[in-house]
Amino acid sequence: MAVYKRRYRPYHGPLTPERSRFLVLTRYAFAGLFRSRVFVLLFVLALVPTLFFAAYIFLANNSAVQQFLQFHVAGGFAVENKFFFTLTMIQTQLAFLLNCWVCPTLVAGDLVNGALPLFLSRPFSRPEYVLGKCAVIALLLSVVTWVPGLILFSLQAGLAEGGWTWSHLWMVVPIVCCSAVWISMLSLISLAVSAWVKLRIVATGVIFCAFLVPAGLGAIFNTILGTYWGSLLNFSELFRLILVKGFRLESELVGRAGLPQVPLFAAWIMMILVCVLSLYILDARLQAREVVRG
Amino acid sequence: MAPTIELDGLEVQLGGRTILRSLTGVLDGRAIGLLGPNGAGKSTLINTILGFHTPSEGSVRVLGLDSRRDGKALRALVGYMPETDAFIAKMSGVRFVQYMAELSGLPTDQAMERAHEAFVYVGLGEARYRMVGTYSLGMKQLTKLAQAIAHGLRLLILDEPTNGLDPPARKRLLELICEIREASDICLLLSSHLLRDVEETCDQVLILRDGRIASICNLAEERRTKRKFLEMETCGAEPAFASALQGLGCECALFGNGRMKVVLPDAVEIRDVYKVAAERGVQIRRMNQRRDSLEDIFLNAMEQSGGSNGRI
Repeated sequence: MAVYKRRYRPYHGPLTPERSRFLVLTRYAFAGLFRSRVFVLLFVLALVPTLFFAAYIFLANNSAVQQFLQFHVAGGFAVENKFFFTLTMIQTQLAFLLNCWVCPTLVAGDLVNGALPLFLSRPFSRPEYVLGKCAVIALLLSVVTWVPGLILFSLQAGLAEGGWTWSHLWMVVPIVCCSAVWISMLSLISLAVSAWVKLRIVATGVIFCAFLVPAGLGAIFNTILGTYWGSLLNFSELFRLILVKGFRLESELVGRAGLPQVPLFAAWIMMILVCVLSLYILDARLQAREVVRG
Repeated sequence: MAPTIELDGLEVQLGGRTILRSLTGVLDGRAIGLLGPNGAGKSTLINTILGFHTPSEGSVRVLGLDSRRDGKALRALVGYMPETDAFIAKMSGVRFVQYMAELSGLPTDQAMERAHEAFVYVGLGEARYRMVGTYSLGMKQLTKLAQAIAHGLRLLILDEPTNGLDPPARKRLLELICEIREASDICLLLSSHLLRDVEETCDQVLILRDGRIASICNLAEERRTKRKFLEMETCGAEPAFASALQGLGCECALFGNGRMKVVLPDAVEIRDVYKVAAERGVQIRRMNQRRDSLEDIFLNAMEQSGGSNGRI
C-alpha cells in the first residue's frame, strides 16, 4: 500500500479540456453497466438477431450452400430494402428493451442519494450532464441498431454481385438516420422518466408504461371514434411510419392492418413535441436544489 | 487581491418569495462563518454562490468572479460539502472521490492519486474500497469532505459540516477544517447552526436574519477588543467596594442583593479585585469571569436587526 503524507495540499497539476469532460460521465457509466451481469446478458441477446440476419445474407449469396442444404425459397432470397427494414425494426425494439434496463440506472443512482449537487457544483453544467448520460444511451443503442445494420449492409455489398452496392447505397441513410431518430426519442423520454421517478425499478416500469399506455389509449380512441389520429400516441407506430417512408416501402405496406394512416408530417411533429416535453421535464427535475413554490 | 466574497445588492427570489434581500457587503476573511436562524437564507446564499439559484437583482462575486457571468470558472475554484446526503451508494468511496475529481478536470491517474490522498487525509483510508452506501453518517460526512478537497480549490464551502456527528467525530472534522485552512491558502465559508463550530474555525462572521444582513463582524478583532467582565455575588459594603473598583479603572453596575457586574480594563487582574474586596471587608460568594462570545455577538445582531426571538 502506498504511503501518503497526512498533510493537506491543493492540486496544482494539469486539467483536462472542458469540452470533453462530459465523457467522464459516459466512461464511468459504461464501467458501471458492464459490471452488471444482467446488462451483459441483455446486450448479448440484443445482438443475436443480427447473427441470424448475417447467416441469411450468407445463404442468399451462396448458391452452393443453398443446394447443399436443399433450400428452395419461392422467388429466391432477397436482400433488399424490406430486409433492412425488418432488421432495423427488430433491432430498434430490442434497443427499447435494453434502454428500459439501462436508462434508470444511469440517472436514478445520482438522484436518489442527492449526488446531483456535487456534479453541478463543479465546472460542469446541466446540459453537459444530460449530454454525458445521452452519450451512454446513444453509443449503446447505436451498437444494437444502426451499427449492425451497416455491418450487414457491408457484408451484403461484399458478397453481392452486379452493382448491388450502388443501387442500394441510399439505404445507408434510413438505416442510420431512422435509428438515430428512435435513439434520440428513446433516450430523452427515458431520461426524463428516470429523472422524474428517481427509483430505478419504478422508472423501468414507468418507461414501459410511457410507451404502452398511450399506445393502448390511442387504439381505443381510434376504435371508438373511427379515426386514425389516436395512432399519434403510439410512438412505435410513428417510428414505423417514418421507417416505412425511409425505406421506400409505402406501396408495399400502405393499407395493411396496423399501419397508421397519420400523415408523415404529423408523426414528425408528434415526435418532436415528445422530445421537447422530455427536455422540459429534464430541465425541471435536474435541479441542484428543488424550489418549493408557494 | 480580490475579497473572498463581495455582495452587491444581492436579491434572490425563489418560488415567488424573496429569500435574500439587498445583501451588500465585503467579506475578506480567510475563514468566513455564515450564521442565522432557520430560514435566514444561509443555504440560499451558498446555492447562489454556486450558481444553483440566479440572483433576481444585484450580484455576488467570489474571489473576483461573478457567480452569474463566470459561473464555471468560479465553480472550478470551489469545493463544496453539502448539508444533505450526497453520494452514489453503489460506488466505492475512493472511486466516488476519483469520479468527482475527474469531473473537476483532473486527469484520470491524477484523480485516482488525489482520491487516495484525500481519503487517507480525512481518516477513511481503511474504508476507501467499501461502497459509500454502507458508510456510517460520520463516514459519509468525511467522504463529502474528501470529494470537496480532492481538486485544486481556492474556496471550501461547508454547509453544516458537523450535522449529526458525535462529539469525537465533530472534533476530528473541525480539526481537519482548521488544518486545511492552515496548511494552504484555501478560504473557508462555513455555514453552521453551532456557534461553537464557527467560533473555532472562522475569523469573520456574516449573520443573516430574514434574508438580510444582521451583522458582519471580524471575529479576530472582536476577540481583541471585547473586554473581559466579572459577574459577582457579594456580601458586605457593596457601594464602597464598587467605588474602590472604579478607582482602579473598572466599570461597575450594581443590581441589588449583592449582585454586580464589573468590566475589567486590561491592566486590572482578578487578584486586584480580591485585594480590594479584602481591604473593604467584602465577601465574594460567587464570581464568573466572561468575555463577550460569538453568542453575545449573534444575539446582539438578532436584537438590533429587529426582534428578540432570534434564537437558533
